[in-house]
Amino acid sequence: MTRPSDTTNGASKTISKVLSKGRLVVCVGPGGVGKTTTAAALGLRGALAGRRTIVLTIDPARRLANSLGLESLTNDPQPIDLPDNDTDGELWAMMLDSEQTFNDLVDRLAPDKGALKRAKQNNIFRLLSSALHGMQEYMALDKLHDLYTGGHFDLVILDTPPTKNALEFLETPSRAATFFDERIIKWFLPGQGEPGFFGRMFNPSSIVLTLISKVLGEDFVNDLVEFFGTFHYLQETLQQRGEMIEFILRDNRTHFFVITSADPRRMKEAYYFHEKLGGLDQRADMFVINRVIPSFSAEDIAHLDDDEFAALLENQGVTDSSQVRSLRSQLEAQYARLAKLALRDRDAIATLSRRVGDDAVRLIPLLGEDVHNLSHLLKLSDFLTPLEDS
Amino acid sequence: MLLDQLLDRRILFVTGKGGVGKSTTTAGLAHALAKAGRRTLVLETDTFSAMESFFDFQSTGLEPVSITDNLWASNLDSEECFIATLKRFVPGERVARAVIKNRIARVFFRAAPSVNEVTILDQVRVFYERQNPDGSPYFDHIIVDLPASGHAVTFLNVPATMTGMMRGRGPIAKMTAQVSALIEDPSVTAVVAVCLPEEMPVNETIELAAKLEEVLSRPLDMTIANQVHPAPLKGDDRETFQTLHKQVRETHPDLETLFFETDGSEGETTALARVVEGNALSLGWHDRDQTYLKLLHDRLDLPIIEVPVFYEATGSDVVRHLARFFLGEADSLEASQPQEESRP
Repeated sequence: MTRPSDTTNGASKTISKVLSKGRLVVCVGPGGVGKTTTAAALGLRGALAGRRTIVLTIDPARRLANSLGLESLTNDPQPIDLPDNDTDGELWAMMLDSEQTFNDLVDRLAPDKGALKRAKQNNIFRLLSSALHGMQEYMALDKLHDLYTGGHFDLVILDTPPTKNALEFLETPSRAATFFDERIIKWFLPGQGEPGFFGRMFNPSSIVLTLISKVLGEDFVNDLVEFFGTFHYLQETLQQRGEMIEFILRDNRTHFFVITSADPRRMKEAYYFHEKLGGLDQRADMFVINRVIPSFSAEDIAHLDDDEFAALLENQGVTDSSQVRSLRSQLEAQYARLAKLALRDRDAIATLSRRVGDDAVRLIPLLGEDVHNLSHLLKLSDFLTPLEDS
Repeated sequence: MLLDQLLDRRILFVTGKGGVGKSTTTAGLAHALAKAGRRTLVLETDTFSAMESFFDFQSTGLEPVSITDNLWASNLDSEECFIATLKRFVPGERVARAVIKNRIARVFFRAAPSVNEVTILDQVRVFYERQNPDGSPYFDHIIVDLPASGHAVTFLNVPATMTGMMRGRGPIAKMTAQVSALIEDPSVTAVVAVCLPEEMPVNETIELAAKLEEVLSRPLDMTIANQVHPAPLKGDDRETFQTLHKQVRETHPDLETLFFETDGSEGETTALARVVEGNALSLGWHDRDQTYLKLLHDRLDLPIIEVPVFYEATGSDVVRHLARFFLGEADSLEASQPQEESRP
């Protein structure tokens, strides 16, 4: 049985090895399980092991920024003050702002200022950069590309959005380039002797494009033509980056961690990730089960010592037997519920361990408090892998 | 019942941060409305379907599947929605499918932003407009399990954005204008946010309310706070317990770490210490919940339904408990209110 304690086991050794040798850890998993905080704890451990580490988060709590000693996280890496340690490691953190990242990308790649100005007035551009639904994942990968290849960081911890989006995230490299697919752009671009969209529109064979124009309206199509006219320069870069990112995701120093809680519904999502990763020819190197309920057991209620309980209350001047009984029955009733939760967690974990092996499962206990400062984060990271092994 | 204020709204959009029980709550609402005799359709937006496992059915195409009396469900596959919308603009399904099959058009529409959203919402409109032979609405309520709140406002705003982009001209613009008018009409639609009484979900709910006002000029109509932990101890007993807990910690100074030792390594703790520590943890949950519920009440001027945690239920049981709770028939034992008499 895997134990949520500060002991070493196969799983903690694997985590330790990943943090000292890996280059990228992608954290996936359902929402609401403390995934971002766990990613930060992994980053902290990496830094303490001497790596120049950056944690790229998508949707952090302000509390997380505060726990790292920052007012807020921004779209640029910020250094974190580490507790006293004698390694050369560094910890940096940043939060993805997809709109900003998209604008930066366009700024950097624009051939001239005029193009940029025109782009920003284009309706399609405005839709793309504000309605970033589905683009967030791509922008995260773009940022990842910069951090990974930038030369400064040797370990990137990437937090991802929950469930459905994270799956898009893994599939995005090809998808984003698709929008800028040369074949599409060519249809809309007037140029180089080939008839552009309008030329083709009058070609009787291109009934499809006639329909697009009829359905979407001419103004929209004009915007599209302009958009692709301005942005075709992005295509090549995005394509290259997409390919590079696919390469990075498949590198053997890239590791996928599934972060979940033992709650049956979350576990089900965790299995879904497991299978999805398998389908993408990847595998989860580690399942981190967060917020595991301590092993409360219903047997404890039968073993409650009457005298011990009475004595404890007597110390506080509570001697009235009906009051003692009432207090005790409330405590027992609540404890019985917790014991059921604990049992449910343990069953779920045992099932997972049977499926993926004990050495791929690491438990973090439910801590009595939220993570508010670096020492809480350090405590959490102790459960991932004890410092001695780092 | 708790849902009275939703009964006059035909379309309910449910959103919430990932992991707060958004889909479960959507299913609970749908189940409750159906039990109350309302013909209810629950829709998912091209996702890994939660409804299929809650209600044990297999969706096929867009056409709603009948689940029980008064309850239907469908998972709106975006490609099917796209074909359905396109069919209204081109002559016949055959041409629509031909457009879809065209390589260029396919790549374009798949990759273009917002096409999925707009055709899915257009399909919601189609179900909204469906009528019985006597002209009455076919569905009394349509409940849409929206994407997580970070994306929800963008999602709902897509028709309006598209209308603006096309400068209101052309057949598609007419359609998107219709859909956005429907979404923005507070007498027809309600937006319900689901959250947990925790930092991130509560903050996201507060942000959602602001963003709905800012972008769609409409209010958030209701918040449902899930998994609220009742106080394990009432009144004076709480105070007594806290001193008792302090005393136990003093006699077991290393209790906090022993707390995490598991099976077979019970260490130095006694049964009493564990029972007390478990209750202290529960009290901590309760206090944390109250802090964030207070924040929610302070910042939002709208109905907030607090749903107690159902300790012993999972999956579709939770859906049934939720429906009973919404209908005011919650079984107090399951709702874990140890102090109250259970009602029939």
